[in-house]
Amino acid sequence: MSVRTWLYERTPLASIEEAIDHKSIPRHRYMAFYFFGGMTLFFFAVQVVTGGLLLLYYRPSASEAYESVGFIMRRVPFGWLVRSIHAWSANLMIGAAFAHLFSVIYGHAYRRPREVTWLSGVLVFFITFAFGFSGYLLPWNELAFFATRVGTNMAGVLPGMGDAIVHFMRGGKDVTGATLTRFFGVHIAILPAITTVLLALHLVLVQYHGMSLPPGEEARARQAGKPVPSMPFSPHFVLRDLFVWTIALALLAGLSAFLPWELGKKADPFAAAPAGIRPEWYFLWMFQALKYAPATIGGVSGEFLVLVPVTLGVIALILLPFLDRNTPRSRRVIKVLATLALIFMIAMTALALLEKAA
Amino acid sequence: MKPGRAVLALSWLILAGAAARPLAQTPAATPVDLFHDDVHAQAGLNCESCHKAGAPPYGPIDRTKIAPLCAGCHSNAEYMKHYNPQVRVDQYQQYLTSTHGKKMSTGEIRVATCSDCHRAHGIRAVSDSRSPVAPRNVATTCARCHSDHARMSAFGHEDNPPEDWKASVHAAALLVRGDTSAPTCSTCHGSHGAAPPGVTSVAFVCAQCHVREAELFRKSPKKAIFDAMGQGECLTCHSNHKILKPSDSFIGLKEPALCATCHTDQMKGVQVINAMQKGLSDLGAGIDRANAVLDRAVSAGMLVDDGRLVLRDAREDQILARVNIHAFADTPFAATAAKGITEAARAETIGTTAIGELRYRRNGLAVATLLIIGFLATLWLKIRRLPPT
Repeated sequence: MSVRTWLYERTPLASIEEAIDHKSIPRHRYMAFYFFGGMTLFFFAVQVVTGGLLLLYYRPSASEAYESVGFIMRRVPFGWLVRSIHAWSANLMIGAAFAHLFSVIYGHAYRRPREVTWLSGVLVFFITFAFGFSGYLLPWNELAFFATRVGTNMAGVLPGMGDAIVHFMRGGKDVTGATLTRFFGVHIAILPAITTVLLALHLVLVQYHGMSLPPGEEARARQAGKPVPSMPFSPHFVLRDLFVWTIALALLAGLSAFLPWELGKKADPFAAAPAGIRPEWYFLWMFQALKYAPATIGGVSGEFLVLVPVTLGVIALILLPFLDRNTPRSRRVIKVLATLALIFMIAMTALALLEKAA
Repeated sequence: MKPGRAVLALSWLILAGAAARPLAQTPAATPVDLFHDDVHAQAGLNCESCHKAGAPPYGPIDRTKIAPLCAGCHSNAEYMKHYNPQVRVDQYQQYLTSTHGKKMSTGEIRVATCSDCHRAHGIRAVSDSRSPVAPRNVATTCARCHSDHARMSAFGHEDNPPEDWKASVHAAALLVRGDTSAPTCSTCHGSHGAAPPGVTSVAFVCAQCHVREAELFRKSPKKAIFDAMGQGECLTCHSNHKILKPSDSFIGLKEPALCATCHTDQMKGVQVINAMQKGLSDLGAGIDRANAVLDRAVSAGMLVDDGRLVLRDAREDQILARVNIHAFADTPFAATAAKGITEAARAETIGTTAIGELRYRRNGLAVATLLIIGFLATLWLKIRRLPPT
């Protein structure tokens, strides 16, 4: 008995294979956007593999974290490569996730019956930021330490429970070794566990519902009285996905070899915050918006007044499938709002980067 | 009024005006205004505490009587300990030993007394950075008289020590780096007992900070030679006020090296001078090379903290070697310089290895890129050959 036969008798491989054989992907002018989801998944897989390797040497304590990362970069064979790939892949994953999110919004791919697919995806998107925020502190260097202090401080503007949240996040009044241990636990256990469940659900639902077709393309096909052209998932789409992943791998290798991720100076909690402290690029837009906010407006904290619309925006994003009435007008409104949000984020990020360059 | 007394009164007014120049920062400030911020006002004293005779508005106090007046309280340990149990009470005794005090006691009123440095009203604690005798302000306060050519030439002083000091390594430390432990006028001359240290005691003054240099010098053959020649030990090479940052170029037998001032290549000590010059030169060049290669590695993104640590050790040995020059002998200079040269070479090796590693990485990337491109081309061909959909 061959291994194949043995497996087919004991697992649903035959039905999976059959489903793959019959699965097709719509072909249209926006088809390229389908690759962003796969690219995000590829970077996530890279994170899992490189993160697992880093765990072999990393030590999550204020006295050893920085030294252990230094050891990984200097002494462990290819440790520099693994750490650089982990850091670069994290950033590229967030970039790919952004592109995936906006392509789904512009394509209205969240509409019925894909509401649960959207919810699982958008939650994974926010967890990706939590991964970035918690992972940034782990090398325990100066920039990460002070950026984490500023970042965790932001929760303090919430009325009533702000201080309690800050205390919970930090494991004390200030960012200390307790914060590092907490962030480490969140980064390598809690977030991966939640992500695994949500991502599995997201992927199963994507396979179950198939790729969404933008309403415009749907209407075009309907008008033409022809079915939407498609291509087989395997091997046509799989090979194209593999092509894109290979380019992503080449990009990661190039960035890691030519721009190895810096370690910086070890964090000194008693030192004054150095000039130019800023969060990672994906939080820059909010950081810059908070900088422009006045200290108080009518007795209310300016930071609070910035964070309220941002929080409302996040809630609206999560509930998007339920807010969109799926009419041409509502779709236009959502496109305009998404474009305005995108312009705002790009403009704020650009202003922050220009300030840094100046 | 007799003409002589009128001239004397006018001169006194001019001197008092010059002494009060720093107080003129707010033209409208009167003695009463200034006294509000005075350390004495904060201690509960008032105008009558010093102006014991007459009634307001009080006139200036006779300059010869100012120091004894201040000493009335500041030399009284029993009285002063009410305000500060640790305060010194020997300022007046010190003042009497100073050039200022000695001349003042002969009736020469153009020399400094308490109010010239501390101000008459608006006196602040020395620890207050706004005080004219706070470390950063001392030289400016002294310069008010000692950079005044007309005033100083009357006493036979032609040079300008405060201006020379401003060009010194000490002034750079105090005024540029803000190191308030760096020496200013009063550190070497004393404050209340201010006087030139004199040739025989200048080395003791410098040794207050430069302990190791002084220790090595006292045991060196140079000590007896300088004593016999009546030369101020440290001053001979380093000068007194315009003390420049020491440089390795001080050592050598050719101008502008300092050794060349007295030594020629026919004299005793040539081998020691040459060995020191070579040791310092090799060490400096080794450190520069290591620093350059480590900088290159860092700018390429390599982590060379271990190399930086070794280089720091080499720099410490360089400092120690420069100190050891003051023994004017091979020992202990040669051993320190050799250790520093070895460490600099180790740091350079670490940097070179890192750059080699970088080259290896880039070559590896080039190979990986070729493989990836090959794989992409194969994939592309495979995609092109797929049956149409």
